[in-house]
Amino acid sequence: MANILFTAPPLVGHLNPALAVAKHLQSQGHVVAWAVHMDRVGNRMDPAMRCFDIGQFDPAGELDSTKVRGLESVRLFFEDYCVPMTRACFKPILNIIDDFKPDMLVVDQQMPAGALAAQAAGLPWVSLVTTTASILRLSDTLDEWVSSQFASLQNELLPAELHRARPDLSPHAVLVFSNQQLMGSLNQCLPAPYVFVGPTQGEGRATVAFPWDKLKTGTRKVLLTLGTVSRDRDTRFFEVFLQAFAQMPDVQAVVVAPESLAELAPANVIVSPFVPQMELLPHMDAVVCHAGHNTVCEALRFGIPLGVAPIRDDQPVIARQVIDAGAGISIRFGKVTPAAALHTLNELLDNPVYRQAAQELATHFSHASGAQGAAQHIERLMNHTEMSTPT
Amino acid sequence: MTQALILNLVVEKIRSTINEDWIHDFEIDLETRFNEDLEIESIEFVKIANAIQQHYGDRLNIAAWLSGKSINELIGLNVGQLVDYIETQTEPK
Repeated sequence: MANILFTAPPLVGHLNPALAVAKHLQSQGHVVAWAVHMDRVGNRMDPAMRCFDIGQFDPAGELDSTKVRGLESVRLFFEDYCVPMTRACFKPILNIIDDFKPDMLVVDQQMPAGALAAQAAGLPWVSLVTTTASILRLSDTLDEWVSSQFASLQNELLPAELHRARPDLSPHAVLVFSNQQLMGSLNQCLPAPYVFVGPTQGEGRATVAFPWDKLKTGTRKVLLTLGTVSRDRDTRFFEVFLQAFAQMPDVQAVVVAPESLAELAPANVIVSPFVPQMELLPHMDAVVCHAGHNTVCEALRFGIPLGVAPIRDDQPVIARQVIDAGAGISIRFGKVTPAAALHTLNELLDNPVYRQAAQELATHFSHASGAQGAAQHIERLMNHTEMSTPT
Repeated sequence: MTQALILNLVVEKIRSTINEDWIHDFEIDLETRFNEDLEIESIEFVKIANAIQQHYGDRLNIAAWLSGKSINELIGLNVGQLVDYIETQTEPK
């Protein structure tokens, strides 16, 4: 049995899949511990797992701003979040390694401090990838710029012989919570030993209450969610869709939005700030979302067509994957009108082509092994005697 | 070719390529940014660029022009910069 140290940024969409993998490893008898920002995510951690506090980190920029869009949000993610967080977390994680003495690390791709600390300590590590947008070659300009960000971090933190072109992608294994059918073949992947395990099945998530008695049977249903990061920012998008839902009395909608929007909601809409998404999805006929990678993969696992309104980060890339696969319709987040929203909803519900494409993807997702497969892969790697840290 | 004529053509190509209800009433001028103001993703920009390229023929090479730009320049790209590029390329020599 091994000591395994997990680390992830304090973002729910990154923490949840890693927690699911950790749970499976723990059930196999391994000792799992976490290096996390306890002030931000302590309440989400599994009490049965040991947690080491990395300390406080206050990002310079607001990750949840819908004002910052597209490519600019990618630049700011690195400059204001990923790079300073790596600087702040590198030493604390090294100290945690000293204390816990792990045999290996499991590191979210967007927590490079964990990968650099593993390198410095001479330990193997596995990368977890929660969005395929960050393993694709999108443009030379962007790829070179990202590499230069990693180069300057490594210049500060690691001796030259340990530098790698992309330390966020482990040379041992990169476990991706998606599948290649959705990713498509438009863009090439950056070179790394990928294993596509598909989305997790919601293991490790907190239980969320929901007014199940209000959910009608026999009506078609739509889930609208902008995920955990963007939810509280901009109410215009919700208001536009509430107007559209008001014109669809035969359809019931669940809208994941601040409670304050409930008073604007027509009778056929349930507004709730949190929902048990995995339990709700099997009831849904369409999902409208921000093209967050987790939500997209989870909806497609159930073969549900998607309206995708990307806001920032990887979302435009994931939205494009959904459109190219034929499983959804694009919605322009800041520009959509009630008429366009109504048209999109009717298309998603009435035009069978989107559901057919989504169901085709679902068959691929149903073969994926999820968090359990990821855990098994990590175990196989540990048993592999040749696994050592390459230089 | 005057700047105003080029601007008209670029705006027309943006509107016809995007072709959604809001874009037909959206005021587009030289200051309008593709990323922030129009929420145009790269694949749509390529379509707009192709439509413009088709109009002017091989006097333009928008892809080559873009490949020389830094990430910050791409983020801030506005209609006026594209119009300026077209104007310099189509000037009578």
